[in-house]
Amino acid sequence: MDLEDDTTILTTLKSFNSFISRPEHPQRLSEHSAGSGILQSQYKRSMELLEAAERVHSKNRYLQLDQEKKQMELSHKRARFELERAASDSARDLEHEVDRNQELLGQIKKLEERAEEVNKKLTEQKEANDALQKNLEGLNKTLEERDDKLGTANQTIRSLKDEIRELRQKIQNQDSKMSAQTLENQELQEKIDLQQRKYQEVSQLCQSLQAAQSSCSDHIIKIKELERRLVFQEQDFAIVKTVKSEVARVPDLEKELKRLRDDNAYLRESRENCSLLKEEVEGLRKKLERMEKTKEELINMELEKEVKVVCTHLYANCSVLCLVCRKPEDLSREVIQIQQREIALKEQNYTLNSRVRSVERSQSELRAELTQQHSKTLEEQKKREAQDALVRRLQKRVLLLTKERDGMRAILESYDSELAPTEYSPQLSKRLREAEDILLKTQSHNAEMEVCLQAIIFFVSQAELELESLKKQQASALLNSVCACIFFLRQKIEDLERERQRLEEQNNILEMRLERHNLQGDYDPVKTRVLHLKMNPTAIAKQERQQEVEALRQEVTRLRDLVRSLQSGGAVGHSQDDTHNPSFSLSLAPSKEVLDLRKQMESSELRNQRLKEVFQRKIQEFRTVCYVLTGYQIDITTENQYRLTSVYAEHMDDSLLFKKGSNGSMQLMETEFSKTLGEMVALHLHHQKSIPAFLSAVTLDLFSRQTTV
Amino acid sequence: MTSTLKGITLKGSAELVAEFFSFGINSILYQRGIYPPETFTRVTHYDLSLLLTTDPKLKSYLTNVVSQLKEWLFECTVQKLVLVITCLETNEVLERWQFDIECDKSAKESSAPREKSIKTIQHEIRSVIRQITATVTFLPLLETPCAFDLLVYTDKDLVVPDKWEESGPQTIDQPEEVRLHSFTTSIHKVNSMVAYKKTESA
Repeated sequence: MDLEDDTTILTTLKSFNSFISRPEHPQRLSEHSAGSGILQSQYKRSMELLEAAERVHSKNRYLQLDQEKKQMELSHKRARFELERAASDSARDLEHEVDRNQELLGQIKKLEERAEEVNKKLTEQKEANDALQKNLEGLNKTLEERDDKLGTANQTIRSLKDEIRELRQKIQNQDSKMSAQTLENQELQEKIDLQQRKYQEVSQLCQSLQAAQSSCSDHIIKIKELERRLVFQEQDFAIVKTVKSEVARVPDLEKELKRLRDDNAYLRESRENCSLLKEEVEGLRKKLERMEKTKEELINMELEKEVKVVCTHLYANCSVLCLVCRKPEDLSREVIQIQQREIALKEQNYTLNSRVRSVERSQSELRAELTQQHSKTLEEQKKREAQDALVRRLQKRVLLLTKERDGMRAILESYDSELAPTEYSPQLSKRLREAEDILLKTQSHNAEMEVCLQAIIFFVSQAELELESLKKQQASALLNSVCACIFFLRQKIEDLERERQRLEEQNNILEMRLERHNLQGDYDPVKTRVLHLKMNPTAIAKQERQQEVEALRQEVTRLRDLVRSLQSGGAVGHSQDDTHNPSFSLSLAPSKEVLDLRKQMESSELRNQRLKEVFQRKIQEFRTVCYVLTGYQIDITTENQYRLTSVYAEHMDDSLLFKKGSNGSMQLMETEFSKTLGEMVALHLHHQKSIPAFLSAVTLDLFSRQTTV
Repeated sequence: MTSTLKGITLKGSAELVAEFFSFGINSILYQRGIYPPETFTRVTHYDLSLLLTTDPKLKSYLTNVVSQLKEWLFECTVQKLVLVITCLETNEVLERWQFDIECDKSAKESSAPREKSIKTIQHEIRSVIRQITATVTFLPLLETPCAFDLLVYTDKDLVVPDKWEESGPQTIDQPEEVRLHSFTTSIHKVNSMVAYKKTESA
């Protein structure tokens, strides 16, 4: 109200101020036109008016204020009345609310108690839960550890199985290899046996060959020596033959001598004739010369005559014309002709001289031939004398040869009887020495004989005759013996040669076989070695092939596992995956996800199972603990129905049934056993309203019955 | 180069024989189809159009073997060179190309070159290589995948170099043998022959 008053005051002031300000404006205007006296009167009037207005205003205002006051008082009263009503109402409400508060407080207390109980139960259960969770966690950890161990064990088992498979395969391969190698060994042993037999045969053959070769070589040596002796004998025979031929030549030589002598005489005669002929020739030559000269002179003279006749004719004809000129020409011609004649004569002289010289040369040659023939005759005479001496020597040699042949015969006989190679060479050397001694002796004998040449010439012919007869006999005898020996030796040689040929044929056959084996690639391990590079293409290809095979095997095993897992996964989700079955065989990528999901599912199912088992175990433990501690086994028969059987129950069927009501309270149902406990039911449940007391009373009662009984 | 000289020395002979083996082995590999034909390239040698492989691994293997063979030819310690073709599935030897080498050891002592013209040697080598090509007509087809190996028959007292090892002779059971032409450089004589497994139909 005061505020309203204040507002009215303020509004009145505002209106007053506005009133004041309005007349001031016209007043200000009038002030300029009028003077100060007007103004003052106007001012006074205005002031009086103003004051009057103010009084009016104040009165109005006073009235208004009084009215307002009255209104205000009325309103105050109303408000008070209302307020009193409201207060009464509020008091009532307060009372109600206080009652409610009290009730609520009681409820709150109850609730708090319950809450405390519940909290306690919660804490207990939380503790139990914590314990259980810890147990669970521990169990989970153990389970996980066991799962890990199982997984690792499974992996190890799989790896071991794979290894076992691989080892079995390797064993099989090795068995097969072993069998193949044993077969190869057997074959090789058989081959070795065959080759050993062959080798033995070959060695035997070689030994026999060597023996035969040694015997052959010995025989060859013997043969060579015999051949040498034969050669010597042949040489001696040849010498004898030459001697014979020379001896045969002697009459021819004598004939030639005679011829030469006749030729000599003839040549001497011819020489004399030649000299005579030469003289005749010279005479004839001279005659010829003279004749030729005379002829030439005649010819020249005739020519000159002719020329001169011609000249004279010419001169006679042309004497008048050219006498002077032809004379010198004729002279020159004559000179030339004379010169030509001289030249021709000279030539004839030269030719004649050359003929003379040639004849002289022929003469000298003939003289030389004569001297040569003289010397030849002398030489032939000497030769004849030498041949005579040779004849004598030959006679002596023949004697020696007979002796040598006797010795050789003895040697051959000894050779035939003995035939020992170790004693052969010293015997040979002994015989050689003997032969040498014999030779020396004969040579000395020869020298002695040569001294006695002249005395034995008389016996030459007789000796020759004797020689011839002896030679024939000895030659025949020697030849017979030597032929017999030679025949025997030749037979032996033929036998040995046959054996050698046979052995050579066998050798050739063996060499052919060896060559064939060499062609096929066999080699003598003693002499040759077969090498190749370690990293050769065949080894590399075999390695690659093995790697490919292993990779393929691994792929096969992997695919088999995939197929098995797919088959197992397909059996689980068969209804869902009917449409997708064909796609599983074709595509691998989605199957991997499916496998992963299935694995996750399996793992989660396993976990669920384990949790179920754990929960069951825990529940079982809890139930047993409850049974042991409380003495009652609590079974849930149907929904909200609990059957309790006591530890000390006398009969198995003695049980109490409790039902959980809709409001959460437990109610005892009637059973046969509960009928027997009517007193306790009445006392504890109806009167005390405590189920635990009732239950404990029952247990005590049963326990007392049990103990007493 | 031996072509500029008038005579053949031991070293030149070894080079000629090694060169022949290199080309011969390449021709055999191409003709028998051991390696695919597109891996071979044509070159001209001995007045013939010959095929050489471009496979680097095969090339390096062949150069290793041929260079070692050249050394052994110079020392006159090698007796045979054998190219063995084996079937990879059954590990059986199907073909055997055998080159017998006869070395005149007197050429080692005397260093005087022998008179034989290069042209006659090349003519002889040409005939051998033509025969190798002609063997395709009677050798049986190699239908299974095959691999080859080179064996060298050397003297027993030879030092085995690194990367080389002893092996068996790898002979064929009851083979058919065909002798080819031979050629000689007057120091080395090479006889060629091929042995192959009889086909079951024959």
